[in-house]
Amino acid sequence: MTIELQRPVGDPIVIDDLERLSFRVDRRAYTDDDLAAQEMTRIFDRCWLYVGHESEVPGPGSYVARDVGGRPVVMARGSDGVLRVFANSCTHRGALICSQPAGQASSFRCPYHDWTFSNQGDLVGVPIPDGYGPGFRKADFGLARHRSDSYRGFVFVTFDPEQPRTLTEYLAGATEYLDLIDDQSEVGMEVIQGAQLHGARANWKLMMENSVDIYHFRALHKRYVGYMESLGSVPPRRRGGFGCALGLGHGANELPPAAARPLAYWTPMFGPEVRPRIEATAARFVDRFGAERAERITGTNRAVLIFPNLMIIDAIAITIRKIDPIGAGQMAITSVALAPKDEDPDIRELRKSHYLTFLGPAGFATPDDIEIVESCQRGYLNRTVRYSDLSRGMNKKVPETTDELPAREFWRQWDRLMHGDDGHLEVAHRAEMQGAQPR
Amino acid sequence: MTTELTVDEAAQVRLWHRVSQFLFREARLLDEWRLLEWYDEMLTDDIRYSVPATDVRGGTADALGLIDDDAARLRQRIEQLLNGEVWCENPQSRTNRMISNVEILTDRGTHLDVAANVVVYRFGHGRSDAYVGKCRSELVVEGESFRVRRRVVVLDHETLYEHGKLSIIL
Repeated sequence: MTIELQRPVGDPIVIDDLERLSFRVDRRAYTDDDLAAQEMTRIFDRCWLYVGHESEVPGPGSYVARDVGGRPVVMARGSDGVLRVFANSCTHRGALICSQPAGQASSFRCPYHDWTFSNQGDLVGVPIPDGYGPGFRKADFGLARHRSDSYRGFVFVTFDPEQPRTLTEYLAGATEYLDLIDDQSEVGMEVIQGAQLHGARANWKLMMENSVDIYHFRALHKRYVGYMESLGSVPPRRRGGFGCALGLGHGANELPPAAARPLAYWTPMFGPEVRPRIEATAARFVDRFGAERAERITGTNRAVLIFPNLMIIDAIAITIRKIDPIGAGQMAITSVALAPKDEDPDIRELRKSHYLTFLGPAGFATPDDIEIVESCQRGYLNRTVRYSDLSRGMNKKVPETTDELPAREFWRQWDRLMHGDDGHLEVAHRAEMQGAQPR
Repeated sequence: MTTELTVDEAAQVRLWHRVSQFLFREARLLDEWRLLEWYDEMLTDDIRYSVPATDVRGGTADALGLIDDDAARLRQRIEQLLNGEVWCENPQSRTNRMISNVEILTDRGTHLDVAANVVVYRFGHGRSDAYVGKCRSELVVEGESFRVRRRVVVLDHETLYEHGKLSIIL
């Protein structure tokens, strides 16, 4: 094998070959600092990005402060009840106007010079105002408000003033999956307190791929599978499931549950006491939605990737996983649990308990995912091996869950945006979805 | 000149010494990966071992944490760690636990509420991490020794962003 010491500038990163049913990603995509910097401007500055869930700011005056797309923001519900997302930066000299991660406030005061902003973003207080001339108007110095919108409780922002799509248009086929999650309660879903804040020394895209990859499950997560079987977890009643591309970089897997689901799918691992309650809930879903949709909501697991950096995994519990790049070789991960607001307390305990069994930095599965993406990142140090392969399932009309279609959908959108384009590869995606064979 | 301890003081020193020795032995067994011995000899049958989330820090019982093991799940955690299926602990990491500031907060005769500070250094797979936290234990008195019935390790880190994971027992 020839070792290439230099690559031509502009060499393609994503090599999508529908003819040979081959899909390769140049590993520079995970390691190159320039590409990582370009991702911030070409992807994170342009897309709709997940900020949080409406339940995190339940009443007037409640707020959360966090980083989104590398930018500190505040998601606040004003005293008027309106949810807004602001730049967390004083319009005077730039300090954070909110240093608490969450709380309740009628106003935000910048500690530097005491400029004070209402929770609706208006500048309401400037000490020693006679230092400004007649042209100074407080109205010009309100907090910078980002364009935000929510879909079924999931709040997103975009930093692109020219973002042509509404949030719903942007979410494309992923709306169907958010519906399947938000439909799990008649009174609404809520984020459970207690965020799992961790990370990995690896490129953020590795965790996106990992989160929508079922192929690795039995290999990497043997110990979790063994634990579930020891609890009396039963193999799926139905085999199958499928992976799908939802357009604009979003993708999903949907499959029969290998274990119980706290919403309304009982197996012996939950114990006999809660069985009548869970089965009664299941019956109510059939009344509300009909048997077929009820089965899809309550009796099906799914993992949804929303481009660029949101994963929602709805299985033994629901986790919302926001994955933020920090340069090429590091990421921050924020994971929270989502649950019906009106959940039975015993079932809520089961949900939390089983969430912890699998998920989070100390679960029986996620630590191995962290380790493996770090291992990939270390493996990429050997540049002799140039490409990663993501071609599984290109030979099928309906890819299975162990195939890599959702990851390809992610990469195709990544490639479009990195080229400053938003259209041409959508065609390639359609071609694959229609089972395009060699032309 | 020597100052005699009062009978009460001497009893307190003895108890503090026994508690400290117990915590140090736990640390040693965990550092030496003698996890089954630790589980069998130093914990009660109804042990509960928790590590709260770093944001709410155990402030509310309703919150999701990082670890909340009952005896069965802790036993499972240990077996996994020992049988090589935990990819991120195979090869096993090297750890060094520092236990300090041991304080007996309450002594109810049959059980004690004990506070300590803990730093666990972990080295493995090319990484070195330190976990820093406050360790609260409910110890049940058993003859001259104890067993742990409840252990909560509240991490002082704002996030585990640097560590990525918590694959060892703290």
